[in-house]
Amino acid sequence: MVDEELLGTHRQELRRGTVVLASLLALRAPEYGYALLKRLAAAGIPSDANTIYPLLRRLEERGLLVSEWNTDDSRPRKFYRTSPTGLELAAQLMTDMTDLTASLHALNGGPDR
Amino acid sequence: MTELTERYLAAALRGIPEAQRTDVERELRSSIADALEDRVGAGENSTDAEKAVLEGLGDPTRLAAGIAGRPLWLIGPDLFVEYRQLLVMLLSIVMPIVGVIQVAVGLSGGEDLIGALLAGVGGALTVGLHIFFWVTITFAAVERFDAMREAREEITGAAGRWTVARLPALPANRVSAAETVGEVLTTALSIGGILFLNGLTVPGTAGGAIPLFNPDLWSFWTPALVAILASLAGLQIVVFMMGRWTTPLASANAVLQLAFSVPVIALALAGLLINPAFADAIEWPPLAEGRGPAMLSLAAGVVLVAAWEIFDGYRRARRADAGAAGLRETGQAAR
Repeated sequence: MVDEELLGTHRQELRRGTVVLASLLALRAPEYGYALLKRLAAAGIPSDANTIYPLLRRLEERGLLVSEWNTDDSRPRKFYRTSPTGLELAAQLMTDMTDLTASLHALNGGPDR
Repeated sequence: MTELTERYLAAALRGIPEAQRTDVERELRSSIADALEDRVGAGENSTDAEKAVLEGLGDPTRLAAGIAGRPLWLIGPDLFVEYRQLLVMLLSIVMPIVGVIQVAVGLSGGEDLIGALLAGVGGALTVGLHIFFWVTITFAAVERFDAMREAREEITGAAGRWTVARLPALPANRVSAAETVGEVLTTALSIGGILFLNGLTVPGTAGGAIPLFNPDLWSFWTPALVAILASLAGLQIVVFMMGRWTTPLASANAVLQLAFSVPVIALALAGLLINPAFADAIEWPPLAEGRGPAMLSLAAGVVLVAAWEIFDGYRRARRADAGAAGLRETGQAAR
């Protein structure tokens, strides 16, 4: 039986890098922070509010996201959308992720176990 | 929104730079409201829901640090080893010296042993506190100012691709902690000297004390000159952190040296430095004269010291540049 806490730490580490990719993919359609959180959770990539909000700002600073305030609704919301550079990066990362998964499968089913 | 949310926002926004604050506040407010609405809509009571939402956002200080991209530490791991090294060295050298001097002064002044010892310990602790404070402030500033951090990273090789050319110089070429301690100590002694002379008086015939320095200087020039000397000590600490002199550092040194020496020379030659009443009281009026022997030789001395210090800064910068270029060539030849 693997210790719960140990499992938790390693899971978190494994997921850390994928939150960026997941956000870039999800934000191909403009979304505001809270909606993105829910969307990621529904897609099976749960993340914390205190990870997502700083992350969105960092990605925007680096030009991977663009943002716009929408004040049409009763509540003003900051919508983020993946920029062209962000799309390119996401495509590249997605390929890497697929390769990585394939490599892990190969290792897992490989001859020297 | 209740008081709890307002308190959370206030705590978080405190750590956000002014320019971003409105934007961050609007986003956080709408996010908290959205999350709250969802929970209450799902049947939770609003007090519990608000607590859960805020706790989900976590420590506001951390959230703010994440958003602002600022370090949560005063002195990070990059600088800590050097910080500790310089601090330990300065404290272990300066504190005993100050303590011993204080005890000696106390004993020669006719104080009893216990009193002199207590004054020695007190003096050593005061100086220690000052050293701790100023060294910490300087390191914390380098940790924060982007331009200084970039310059440091460029030299120490913390940024970009690492090549062997970025290996730090051997201890022989690197500005050592001992050298820095010496420079800081010299500057501290100069400050002490100015403050000592500033307090120097002779008893006047009318009963009052006559100060050596022109009393008009105290309001501006004395504190300004002491501040410039303190900045020079700070610059030495920055040079130590960088590991070597660079042209911008040598230029900063030149500016500070000029900021110190030009006013001193101007004041001396204008006869504004020394109090004429003091010169009269010690029966040597030429002491205070702008074109008198004392002021002329003081001005000449200041010119010489400043010229040497400025030249030395640039010389060390050029030598360090040449050393780094040499290493880079070796690195390229090896490739």
